[in-house]
Amino acid sequence: MNAIALTDVSKSYGEILAVDGLNLTMEPGRTVALLGPNGAGKSTTINMLLGLIRPTAGRIQVFGRTPDEAVARGDIGAMLQEGTLIPELTVRELVDFIRRLYPDPLPLDHVLQMADLTDLSSRRTDKLSGGQTQRVRFALAIAGAPRLLVLDEPTAAMDVESRRAFWGSMRSYAARGHTVLFATHYLEEADENSDRVIVVAGGRVVADGTAAEIKAGVGGSSVGFSLGGQSSACLDALPGVTGVEILSGAVTLRTTDVDATVEALYRKTTLDVRNLQIHGADLEDAFLALTQPAEA
Amino acid sequence: MLNYVKLEATRMLRNKRYIIFVVAFPVGFYLLYSNLWGSQVDEATGVEASVILMVSMAAYGALAASIMSTAVPWSQERQSGWLRQLQITPLPSWMIIATKMISALLLVLPALLLVVLAAVITQHVSLTPGEWATLIPVMWVGTIPFAALGLIIGSLVPPDTAQPLAIIGMFGLALLGGLWFPVDMLPQVMRTIAHALPSYDYASIGWEIVAGHTPPGPAVAGILGWAVVLCGLAIYAYRRATVRA
Repeated sequence: MNAIALTDVSKSYGEILAVDGLNLTMEPGRTVALLGPNGAGKSTTINMLLGLIRPTAGRIQVFGRTPDEAVARGDIGAMLQEGTLIPELTVRELVDFIRRLYPDPLPLDHVLQMADLTDLSSRRTDKLSGGQTQRVRFALAIAGAPRLLVLDEPTAAMDVESRRAFWGSMRSYAARGHTVLFATHYLEEADENSDRVIVVAGGRVVADGTAAEIKAGVGGSSVGFSLGGQSSACLDALPGVTGVEILSGAVTLRTTDVDATVEALYRKTTLDVRNLQIHGADLEDAFLALTQPAEA
Repeated sequence: MLNYVKLEATRMLRNKRYIIFVVAFPVGFYLLYSNLWGSQVDEATGVEASVILMVSMAAYGALAASIMSTAVPWSQERQSGWLRQLQITPLPSWMIIATKMISALLLVLPALLLVVLAAVITQHVSLTPGEWATLIPVMWVGTIPFAALGLIIGSLVPPDTAQPLAIIGMFGLALLGGLWFPVDMLPQVMRTIAHALPSYDYASIGWEIVAGHTPPGPAVAGILGWAVVLCGLAIYAYRRATVRA
Protein backbone atom coordinates (compact mmCIF):
# COMPACT_ATOMS: atom_id res chain seq x y z
CA MET A 1 0.00 0.00 0.00
CA ASN A 2 1.21 3.49 -0.83
CA ALA A 3 1.77 6.06 1.87
CA ILE A 4 0.29 8.65 -0.44
CA ALA A 5 -1.70 8.28 -3.64
CA LEU A 6 -3.06 11.24 -5.56
CA THR A 7 -5.18 10.44 -8.58
CA ASP A 8 -6.07 13.20 -11.07
CA VAL A 9 -6.22 15.75 -8.28
CA SER A 10 -7.18 19.29 -9.20
CA LYS A 11 -7.87 22.34 -7.13
CA SER A 12 -9.08 25.63 -8.46
CA TYR A 13 -9.74 28.89 -6.69
CA GLY A 14 -12.25 30.58 -8.93
CA GLU A 15 -10.50 31.02 -12.26
CA ILE A 16 -7.08 30.08 -10.93
CA LEU A 17 -6.04 26.47 -11.24
CA ALA A 18 -3.60 25.86 -8.37
CA VAL A 19 -3.27 22.11 -8.90
CA ASP A 20 -3.93 20.68 -12.34
CA GLY A 21 -4.57 16.95 -12.62
CA LEU A 22 -1.79 15.85 -10.28
CA ASN A 23 -0.92 12.17 -10.18
CA LEU A 24 1.63 10.83 -7.77
CA THR A 25 2.25 7.91 -5.46
CA MET A 26 4.74 7.56 -2.68
CA GLU A 27 5.88 4.36 -1.00
CA PRO A 28 6.11 4.15 2.78
CA GLY A 29 9.51 4.71 4.39
CA ARG A 30 10.80 7.12 1.78
CA THR A 31 11.85 10.73 2.16
CA VAL A 32 10.47 12.69 -0.74
CA ALA A 33 10.96 16.33 -1.63
CA LEU A 34 8.26 18.30 -3.35
CA LEU A 35 10.30 20.87 -5.21
CA GLY A 36 8.85 23.84 -7.02
CA PRO A 37 8.89 27.60 -7.34
CA ASN A 38 6.47 29.78 -5.37
CA GLY A 39 2.96 29.31 -6.68
CA ALA A 40 3.69 25.84 -8.07
CA GLY A 41 0.89 24.30 -6.03
CA LYS A 42 3.06 22.72 -3.32
CA SER A 43 1.20 24.14 -0.35
CA THR A 44 -2.18 23.50 -1.93
CA THR A 45 -1.18 19.87 -2.49
CA ILE A 46 0.02 19.53 1.09
CA ASN A 47 -3.09 21.14 2.54
CA MET A 48 -5.22 18.73 0.52
CA LEU A 49 -3.19 15.79 1.83
CA LEU A 50 -3.90 16.97 5.36
CA GLY A 51 -7.62 17.40 4.71
CA LEU A 52 -7.41 21.13 5.37
CA ILE A 53 -8.70 21.89 1.91
CA ARG A 54 -10.78 19.77 -0.42
CA PRO A 55 -9.77 18.96 -3.99
CA THR A 56 -12.07 20.25 -6.71
CA ALA A 57 -11.64 16.91 -8.49
CA GLY A 58 -9.75 13.67 -8.06
CA ARG A 59 -9.00 11.31 -5.22
CA ILE A 60 -6.47 11.49 -2.39
CA GLN A 61 -5.48 8.57 -0.20
CA VAL A 62 -3.11 8.44 2.74
CA PHE A 63 -2.25 4.88 3.80
CA GLY A 64 -5.33 3.73 1.87
CA ARG A 65 -7.71 6.09 3.67
CA THR A 66 -9.12 9.55 3.13
CA PRO A 67 -7.01 12.37 4.56
CA ASP A 68 -9.63 13.02 7.26
CA GLU A 69 -9.56 9.41 8.39
CA ALA A 70 -5.76 9.33 8.38
CA VAL A 71 -5.66 12.52 10.47
CA ALA A 72 -8.24 11.13 12.91
CA ARG A 73 -6.15 7.96 13.34
CA GLY A 74 -3.04 9.99 14.11
CA ASP A 75 -1.22 8.80 11.00
CA ILE A 76 -0.16 12.30 9.94
CA GLY A 77 1.94 14.94 11.62
CA ALA A 78 2.68 18.20 9.89
CA MET A 79 4.57 21.41 10.10
CA LEU A 80 2.64 24.00 8.12
CA GLN A 81 4.11 27.14 6.62
CA GLU A 82 2.64 29.48 9.15
CA GLY A 83 1.66 29.01 12.68
CA THR A 84 2.46 30.72 15.90
CA LEU A 85 2.31 29.04 19.24
CA ILE A 86 0.27 29.76 22.35
CA PRO A 87 2.32 32.49 24.08
CA GLU A 88 1.36 31.72 27.66
CA LEU A 89 2.58 28.12 27.56
CA THR A 90 6.00 26.56 27.90
CA VAL A 91 7.60 24.40 25.23
CA ARG A 92 7.13 21.30 27.34
CA GLU A 93 3.45 21.99 28.05
CA LEU A 94 2.68 22.62 24.41
CA VAL A 95 4.53 19.59 23.05
CA ASP A 96 3.06 17.35 25.71
CA PHE A 97 -0.45 18.59 24.93
CA ILE A 98 -0.19 17.79 21.22
CA ARG A 99 1.55 14.49 22.00
CA ARG A 100 -1.34 13.32 24.14
CA LEU A 101 -3.83 13.84 21.33
CA TYR A 102 -2.26 10.92 19.45
CA PRO A 103 -2.99 7.27 20.21
CA ASP A 104 0.60 6.07 20.30
CA PRO A 105 2.97 9.02 20.78
CA LEU A 106 6.71 9.20 21.31
CA PRO A 107 7.95 9.71 24.87
CA LEU A 108 8.04 13.43 25.69
CA ASP A 109 11.74 13.56 26.50
CA HIS A 110 12.47 11.80 23.27
CA VAL A 111 10.55 14.36 21.24
CA LEU A 112 12.29 17.25 22.99
CA GLN A 113 15.64 15.62 22.38
CA MET A 114 15.00 14.96 18.70
CA ALA A 115 13.96 18.56 18.14
CA ASP A 116 16.91 19.78 20.24
CA LEU A 117 14.61 21.46 22.74
CA THR A 118 15.65 19.77 25.97
CA ASP A 119 17.35 22.93 27.27
CA LEU A 120 14.44 25.14 26.25
CA SER A 121 11.64 22.94 27.55
CA SER A 122 10.58 25.22 30.41
CA ARG A 123 10.69 28.40 28.38
CA ARG A 124 7.50 30.25 27.35
CA THR A 125 6.95 30.00 23.63
CA ASP A 126 6.82 33.80 23.19
CA LYS A 127 10.41 34.00 24.46
CA LEU A 128 11.84 31.92 21.60
CA SER A 129 13.80 33.02 18.55
CA GLY A 130 12.51 32.31 15.06
CA GLY A 131 14.67 29.21 14.64
CA GLN A 132 13.70 27.91 18.07
CA THR A 133 10.02 28.40 17.26
CA GLN A 134 10.48 26.33 14.12
CA ARG A 135 12.03 23.57 16.23
CA VAL A 136 9.00 23.60 18.51
CA ARG A 137 6.75 23.35 15.47
CA PHE A 138 8.82 20.41 14.28
CA ALA A 139 8.45 18.82 17.73
CA LEU A 140 4.66 19.27 17.49
CA ALA A 141 4.72 17.54 14.09
CA ILE A 142 6.62 14.46 15.31
CA ALA A 143 5.20 14.30 18.85
CA GLY A 144 2.47 11.84 17.95
CA ALA A 145 4.90 9.51 16.14
CA PRO A 146 2.95 9.87 12.88
CA ARG A 147 3.69 7.39 10.09
CA LEU A 148 3.69 10.27 7.62
CA LEU A 149 5.50 13.48 8.45
CA VAL A 150 4.69 16.44 6.20
CA LEU A 151 6.80 19.59 6.24
CA ASP A 152 5.85 22.66 4.21
CA GLU A 153 8.95 24.79 3.58
CA PRO A 154 10.20 24.09 7.09
CA THR A 155 13.46 26.03 6.92
CA ALA A 156 12.02 29.25 5.48
CA ALA A 157 12.79 31.29 8.61
CA MET A 158 16.08 29.65 9.57
CA ASP A 159 19.73 30.65 9.32
CA VAL A 160 22.33 28.28 7.88
CA GLU A 161 23.28 26.71 11.19
CA SER A 162 19.64 26.08 12.18
CA ARG A 163 18.94 24.58 8.77
CA ARG A 164 21.71 22.05 9.11
CA ALA A 165 20.54 21.04 12.58
CA PHE A 166 16.96 20.89 11.38
CA TRP A 167 17.66 18.51 8.53
CA GLY A 168 19.64 16.36 10.94
CA SER A 169 16.54 16.07 13.13
CA MET A 170 14.38 15.29 10.13
CA ARG A 171 16.73 12.53 8.96
CA SER A 172 16.81 10.92 12.38
CA TYR A 173 13.01 10.81 12.36
CA ALA A 174 12.96 9.37 8.84
CA ALA A 175 15.58 6.80 9.86
CA ARG A 176 13.06 5.22 12.21
CA GLY A 177 11.14 4.00 9.18
CA HIS A 178 8.76 6.93 8.90
CA THR A 179 7.65 8.44 5.63
CA VAL A 180 8.56 12.07 5.11
CA LEU A 181 7.28 14.49 2.50
CA PHE A 182 8.69 18.00 2.49
CA ALA A 183 8.10 20.98 0.23
CA THR A 184 10.90 23.33 -0.63
CA HIS A 185 11.97 25.74 -3.31
CA TYR A 186 15.66 25.15 -2.62
CA LEU A 187 17.21 22.59 -4.94
CA GLU A 188 20.10 22.05 -2.51
CA GLU A 189 17.72 21.08 0.29
CA ALA A 190 15.86 18.64 -1.90
CA ASP A 191 19.15 17.23 -3.12
CA GLU A 192 20.75 16.72 0.28
CA ASN A 193 17.79 15.48 2.27
CA SER A 194 15.60 13.31 0.09
CA ASP A 195 15.88 10.09 -1.83
CA ARG A 196 13.35 11.20 -4.39
CA VAL A 197 12.47 14.60 -5.78
CA ILE A 198 9.15 15.44 -7.34
CA VAL A 199 9.30 18.72 -9.23
CA VAL A 200 6.03 20.57 -9.59
CA ALA A 201 5.33 23.66 -11.64
CA GLY A 202 2.03 25.18 -12.62
CA GLY A 203 0.19 22.58 -10.54
CA ARG A 204 1.62 19.59 -12.42
CA VAL A 205 4.46 17.13 -11.92
CA VAL A 206 7.20 18.09 -14.36
CA ALA A 207 9.98 15.78 -13.16
CA ASP A 208 10.26 12.86 -10.78
CA GLY A 209 13.38 10.96 -9.75
CA THR A 210 16.51 11.19 -7.66
CA ALA A 211 18.08 14.62 -7.32
CA ALA A 212 20.97 13.53 -9.55
CA GLU A 213 18.62 12.32 -12.26
CA ILE A 214 16.74 15.58 -12.24
CA LYS A 215 19.85 17.69 -12.41
CA ALA A 216 21.17 15.49 -15.19
CA GLY A 217 17.94 16.04 -17.05
CA VAL A 218 18.38 19.77 -16.70
CA GLY A 219 22.03 19.63 -17.77
CA GLY A 220 22.84 22.62 -15.64
CA SER A 221 25.78 21.25 -13.63
CA SER A 222 29.28 22.40 -14.27
CA VAL A 223 32.82 21.26 -13.48
CA GLY A 224 35.55 23.86 -13.33
CA PHE A 225 39.34 23.70 -12.86
CA SER A 226 42.58 25.51 -13.66
CA LEU A 227 44.04 24.34 -16.93
CA GLY A 228 47.09 26.57 -16.99
CA GLY A 229 49.02 26.09 -20.20
CA GLN A 230 47.82 22.52 -20.87
CA SER A 231 45.99 21.46 -24.01
CA SER A 232 42.18 21.56 -23.99
CA ALA A 233 41.88 19.25 -26.99
CA CYS A 234 40.10 16.24 -25.45
CA LEU A 235 37.76 18.04 -23.03
CA ASP A 236 34.64 18.13 -25.21
CA ALA A 237 34.91 14.36 -25.71
CA LEU A 238 34.55 13.59 -22.00
CA PRO A 239 31.35 11.74 -21.02
CA GLY A 240 28.40 13.98 -20.20
CA VAL A 241 30.02 17.18 -21.37
CA THR A 242 27.76 19.44 -23.38
CA GLY A 243 29.93 22.53 -23.51
CA VAL A 244 33.44 23.81 -22.82
CA GLU A 245 34.42 27.35 -21.90
CA ILE A 246 38.00 28.48 -21.35
CA LEU A 247 38.76 31.86 -19.89
CA SER A 248 42.38 32.83 -19.14
CA GLY A 249 43.40 29.31 -18.22
CA ALA A 250 40.21 28.43 -16.25
CA VAL A 251 37.98 25.75 -17.75
CA THR A 252 34.24 25.38 -17.17
CA LEU A 253 32.66 22.17 -18.44
CA ARG A 254 28.84 22.01 -18.74
CA THR A 255 27.81 18.46 -18.01
CA THR A 256 24.75 16.27 -17.65
CA ASP A 257 26.64 13.75 -15.50
CA VAL A 258 29.09 15.27 -13.05
CA ASP A 259 30.27 11.90 -11.69
CA ALA A 260 31.14 10.48 -15.10
CA THR A 261 32.82 13.68 -16.24
CA VAL A 262 35.01 14.00 -13.17
CA GLU A 263 35.94 10.33 -13.17
CA ALA A 264 36.99 10.51 -16.81
CA LEU A 265 38.84 13.74 -16.21
CA TYR A 266 41.14 12.03 -13.73
CA ARG A 267 41.36 8.54 -15.20
CA LYS A 268 41.22 9.04 -18.93
CA THR A 269 43.23 12.20 -19.41
CA THR A 270 46.78 12.99 -18.43
CA LEU A 271 45.85 16.51 -17.39
CA ASP A 272 47.10 17.95 -14.14
CA VAL A 273 43.73 19.06 -12.69
CA ARG A 274 43.94 21.84 -10.08
CA ASN A 275 41.30 23.78 -8.16
CA LEU A 276 38.48 21.43 -9.12
CA GLN A 277 35.06 23.00 -8.51
CA ILE A 278 31.64 21.49 -9.04
CA HIS A 279 28.48 23.58 -9.27
CA GLY A 280 25.03 22.06 -9.13
CA ALA A 281 22.30 23.01 -11.48
CA ASP A 282 21.15 26.53 -10.88
CA LEU A 283 17.63 26.58 -9.55
CA GLU A 284 16.33 29.09 -12.00
CA ASP A 285 17.89 27.25 -14.93
CA ALA A 286 16.39 24.03 -13.64
CA PHE A 287 12.90 25.42 -13.50
CA LEU A 288 13.14 27.16 -16.80
CA ALA A 289 14.31 23.93 -18.36
CA LEU A 290 11.66 21.85 -16.64
CA THR A 291 8.67 24.10 -17.00
CA GLN A 292 9.12 25.22 -20.58
CA PRO A 293 8.40 21.84 -22.22
CA ALA A 294 5.33 21.49 -20.00
CA GLU A 295 3.95 24.77 -21.24
CA ALA A 296 4.79 24.15 -24.89
CA MET B 1 -10.37 16.48 26.35
CA LEU B 2 -9.44 16.93 30.02
CA ASN B 3 -5.93 17.53 28.77
CA TYR B 4 -7.20 20.27 26.47
CA VAL B 5 -9.36 21.92 29.15
CA LYS B 6 -6.35 21.96 31.44
CA LEU B 7 -4.24 23.60 28.75
CA GLU B 8 -6.83 26.31 28.15
CA ALA B 9 -7.24 27.03 31.85
CA THR B 10 -3.47 27.19 32.42
CA ARG B 11 -2.94 29.65 29.65
CA MET B 12 -5.75 32.00 30.64
CA LEU B 13 -4.65 32.07 34.28
CA ARG B 14 -1.29 33.31 32.99
CA ASN B 15 -2.91 35.94 30.78
CA LYS B 16 -2.58 39.48 32.17
CA ARG B 17 -5.69 40.76 30.41
CA TYR B 18 -7.76 38.00 31.94
CA ILE B 19 -6.40 38.62 35.41
CA ILE B 20 -6.92 42.39 35.26
CA PHE B 21 -10.38 42.56 33.69
CA VAL B 22 -11.75 39.48 35.21
CA VAL B 23 -10.29 39.07 38.62
CA ALA B 24 -8.92 42.43 39.76
CA PHE B 25 -11.67 44.71 38.38
CA PRO B 26 -14.77 43.16 39.92
CA VAL B 27 -13.16 42.54 43.30
CA GLY B 28 -11.63 46.03 43.34
CA PHE B 29 -14.90 47.75 42.48
CA TYR B 30 -16.79 45.64 44.96
CA LEU B 31 -14.45 46.75 47.74
CA LEU B 32 -14.72 50.37 46.66
CA TYR B 33 -18.50 50.51 46.26
CA SER B 34 -19.35 48.44 49.27
CA ASN B 35 -17.22 50.73 51.42
CA LEU B 36 -19.05 53.75 50.03
CA TRP B 37 -22.65 52.53 50.06
CA GLY B 38 -22.52 49.00 51.48
CA SER B 39 -24.68 49.70 54.51
CA GLN B 40 -27.55 51.35 52.62
CA VAL B 41 -30.71 49.29 52.56
CA ASP B 42 -32.89 48.83 49.50
CA GLU B 43 -36.37 50.00 50.46
CA ALA B 44 -38.32 47.64 48.27
CA THR B 45 -36.64 44.41 49.34
CA GLY B 46 -34.90 45.25 52.60
CA VAL B 47 -31.64 43.87 51.26
CA GLU B 48 -28.37 45.63 52.10
CA ALA B 49 -26.44 47.24 49.25
CA SER B 50 -23.39 45.18 50.12
CA VAL B 51 -25.35 42.08 49.12
CA ILE B 52 -26.79 43.58 45.94
CA LEU B 53 -23.36 44.85 44.97
CA MET B 54 -21.96 41.39 45.55
CA VAL B 55 -24.38 39.99 43.00
CA SER B 56 -23.74 42.85 40.56
CA MET B 57 -19.96 42.65 40.70
CA ALA B 58 -19.94 38.85 40.64
CA ALA B 59 -22.20 39.05 37.61
CA TYR B 60 -19.88 41.56 35.97
CA GLY B 61 -16.81 39.41 36.74
CA ALA B 62 -18.47 36.28 35.43
CA LEU B 63 -19.68 38.06 32.29
CA ALA B 64 -16.24 39.55 31.68
CA ALA B 65 -14.54 36.20 32.25
CA SER B 66 -16.80 34.38 29.84
CA ILE B 67 -16.35 36.92 27.04
CA MET B 68 -12.68 37.71 27.60
CA SER B 69 -11.59 34.07 27.75
CA THR B 70 -13.32 33.30 24.46
CA ALA B 71 -13.50 36.11 21.88
CA VAL B 72 -9.92 37.35 21.49
CA PRO B 73 -8.01 34.13 22.25
CA TRP B 74 -10.20 32.17 19.86
CA SER B 75 -9.89 34.76 17.10
CA GLN B 76 -6.11 34.81 17.55
CA GLU B 77 -5.91 31.04 17.39
CA ARG B 78 -7.80 31.01 14.13
CA GLN B 79 -5.55 33.63 12.58
CA SER B 80 -2.23 32.45 13.97
CA GLY B 81 -2.55 28.93 12.59
CA TRP B 82 -3.01 27.24 15.95
CA LEU B 83 -6.46 26.08 14.86
CA ARG B 84 -4.88 24.44 11.80
CA GLN B 85 -2.33 22.79 14.03
CA LEU B 86 -5.20 21.29 16.03
CA GLN B 87 -7.12 20.31 12.90
CA ILE B 88 -4.28 18.07 11.75
CA THR B 89 -4.22 16.14 15.02
CA PRO B 90 -6.70 13.40 15.92
CA LEU B 91 -8.66 15.89 18.06
CA PRO B 92 -12.23 15.92 16.66
CA SER B 93 -13.46 19.29 15.47
CA TRP B 94 -16.52 19.42 17.75
CA MET B 95 -14.26 18.90 20.73
CA ILE B 96 -12.43 22.15 20.05
CA ILE B 97 -15.52 24.30 20.53
CA ALA B 98 -16.86 22.14 23.34
CA THR B 99 -13.57 22.59 25.17
CA LYS B 100 -13.65 26.33 24.59
CA MET B 101 -17.09 26.45 26.20
CA ILE B 102 -16.14 24.26 29.17
CA SER B 103 -12.91 26.20 29.74
CA ALA B 104 -14.77 29.50 29.63
CA LEU B 105 -17.16 28.21 32.29
CA LEU B 106 -14.27 27.08 34.45
CA LEU B 107 -12.61 30.46 34.11
CA VAL B 108 -15.80 32.16 35.30
CA LEU B 109 -15.46 30.53 38.70
CA PRO B 110 -12.48 32.54 40.05
CA ALA B 111 -14.18 35.82 39.14
CA LEU B 112 -17.46 34.75 40.69
CA LEU B 113 -16.04 33.21 43.83
CA LEU B 114 -13.52 35.95 44.59
CA VAL B 115 -16.22 38.63 44.65
CA VAL B 116 -18.35 36.45 46.92
CA LEU B 117 -15.34 35.82 49.12
CA ALA B 118 -14.56 39.54 49.30
CA ALA B 119 -18.19 40.21 50.25
CA VAL B 120 -18.20 37.60 52.97
CA ILE B 121 -14.88 38.68 54.44
CA THR B 122 -15.09 42.46 54.24
CA GLN B 123 -18.84 43.10 54.49
CA HIS B 124 -19.80 39.99 56.46
CA VAL B 125 -22.46 39.18 53.92
CA SER B 126 -24.41 36.15 54.98
CA LEU B 127 -27.08 34.24 53.13
CA THR B 128 -28.92 31.08 54.09
CA PRO B 129 -27.27 27.85 52.91
CA GLY B 130 -30.20 27.40 50.53
CA GLU B 131 -29.62 30.83 49.01
CA TRP B 132 -25.90 30.20 48.54
CA ALA B 133 -26.62 26.81 47.02
CA THR B 134 -28.96 28.39 44.48
CA LEU B 135 -27.07 31.63 43.82
CA ILE B 136 -23.62 30.25 42.97
CA PRO B 137 -24.66 27.48 40.53
CA VAL B 138 -27.24 29.71 38.84
CA MET B 139 -24.76 32.55 38.39
CA TRP B 140 -22.23 30.08 37.09
CA VAL B 141 -24.37 28.29 34.51
CA GLY B 142 -26.00 31.59 33.59
CA THR B 143 -22.80 32.69 31.85
CA ILE B 144 -23.32 30.20 29.00
CA PRO B 145 -24.93 32.79 26.69
CA PHE B 146 -22.01 35.19 27.24
CA ALA B 147 -19.38 32.55 26.54
CA ALA B 148 -21.31 31.69 23.38
CA LEU B 149 -21.33 35.37 22.41
CA GLY B 150 -17.55 35.48 22.88
CA LEU B 151 -17.13 32.43 20.67
CA ILE B 152 -19.33 33.98 17.99
CA ILE B 153 -17.14 37.11 17.98
CA GLY B 154 -14.00 34.96 17.88
CA SER B 155 -15.29 32.85 14.99
CA LEU B 156 -16.45 35.72 12.83
CA VAL B 157 -13.85 38.48 13.04
CA PRO B 158 -10.06 38.86 13.15
CA PRO B 159 -8.32 39.65 16.46
CA ASP B 160 -8.02 43.39 15.73
CA THR B 161 -11.79 43.63 15.54
CA ALA B 162 -12.52 40.99 18.16
CA GLN B 163 -10.72 42.99 20.83
CA PRO B 164 -12.87 46.15 20.68
CA LEU B 165 -16.03 44.11 20.02
CA ALA B 166 -15.40 41.99 23.11
CA ILE B 167 -14.78 45.05 25.25
CA ILE B 168 -17.84 46.88 23.90
CA GLY B 169 -19.91 43.74 24.36
CA MET B 170 -18.66 43.24 27.86
CA PHE B 171 -19.16 46.84 29.08
CA GLY B 172 -22.32 47.32 27.05
CA LEU B 173 -23.95 44.27 28.56
CA ALA B 174 -22.71 45.19 32.02
CA LEU B 175 -23.89 48.82 31.87
CA LEU B 176 -27.23 48.23 30.18
CA GLY B 177 -27.83 45.11 32.22
CA GLY B 178 -27.77 47.24 35.37
CA LEU B 179 -24.62 45.76 36.84
CA TRP B 180 -22.97 49.15 37.41
CA PHE B 181 -26.03 51.21 38.31
CA PRO B 182 -29.75 50.43 38.49
CA VAL B 183 -31.50 50.18 35.14
CA ASP B 184 -34.28 52.42 36.51
CA MET B 185 -31.87 55.36 36.24
CA LEU B 186 -31.83 54.99 32.44
CA PRO B 187 -34.20 56.78 30.03
CA GLN B 188 -37.26 54.81 28.97
CA VAL B 189 -35.93 53.66 25.59
CA MET B 190 -32.69 52.43 27.07
CA ARG B 191 -34.59 50.73 29.84
CA THR B 192 -36.64 48.76 27.32
CA ILE B 193 -33.47 47.65 25.58
CA ALA B 194 -31.86 46.80 28.90
CA HIS B 195 -34.75 44.58 29.94
CA ALA B 196 -34.34 42.51 26.79
CA LEU B 197 -30.64 41.84 27.40
CA PRO B 198 -29.35 38.56 28.80
CA SER B 199 -27.17 40.41 31.30
CA TYR B 200 -30.24 42.02 32.87
CA ASP B 201 -32.00 38.66 33.12
CA TYR B 202 -28.83 37.14 34.49
CA ALA B 203 -28.29 39.72 37.22
CA SER B 204 -31.94 40.00 38.17
CA ILE B 205 -32.07 36.27 38.86
CA GLY B 206 -29.19 36.85 41.30
CA TRP B 207 -30.84 39.87 42.94
CA GLU B 208 -34.08 37.99 43.41
CA ILE B 209 -32.32 35.06 45.01
CA VAL B 210 -30.54 37.25 47.58
CA ALA B 211 -33.84 39.00 48.30
CA GLY B 212 -35.16 35.59 49.33
CA HIS B 213 -37.39 35.11 46.27
CA THR B 214 -37.43 32.30 43.77
CA PRO B 215 -35.86 33.27 40.46
CA PRO B 216 -38.46 35.12 38.33
CA GLY B 217 -39.92 33.14 35.46
CA PRO B 218 -39.50 35.73 32.70
CA ALA B 219 -35.81 36.23 33.58
CA VAL B 220 -35.16 32.48 33.58
CA ALA B 221 -37.03 32.11 30.28
CA GLY B 222 -35.11 35.09 28.92
CA ILE B 223 -31.70 33.71 29.74
CA LEU B 224 -32.61 30.24 28.50
CA GLY B 225 -33.80 31.76 25.23
CA TRP B 226 -30.60 33.73 24.85
CA ALA B 227 -28.57 30.63 25.67
CA VAL B 228 -30.28 28.60 22.97
CA VAL B 229 -30.03 31.34 20.34
CA LEU B 230 -26.41 32.29 21.07
CA CYS B 231 -25.20 28.68 21.35
CA GLY B 232 -26.88 27.92 18.04
CA LEU B 233 -25.20 30.91 16.45
CA ALA B 234 -21.88 29.98 18.04
CA ILE B 235 -22.03 26.51 16.49
CA TYR B 236 -23.00 27.99 13.12
CA ALA B 237 -20.17 30.56 13.28
CA TYR B 238 -17.71 27.88 14.33
CA ARG B 239 -18.70 25.66 11.40
CA ARG B 240 -18.31 28.62 9.07
CA ALA B 241 -14.89 29.43 10.52
CA THR B 242 -13.60 25.86 10.22
CA VAL B 243 -15.14 24.93 6.89
CA ARG B 244 -12.72 23.08 4.63
CA ALA B 245 -13.02 24.64 1.22
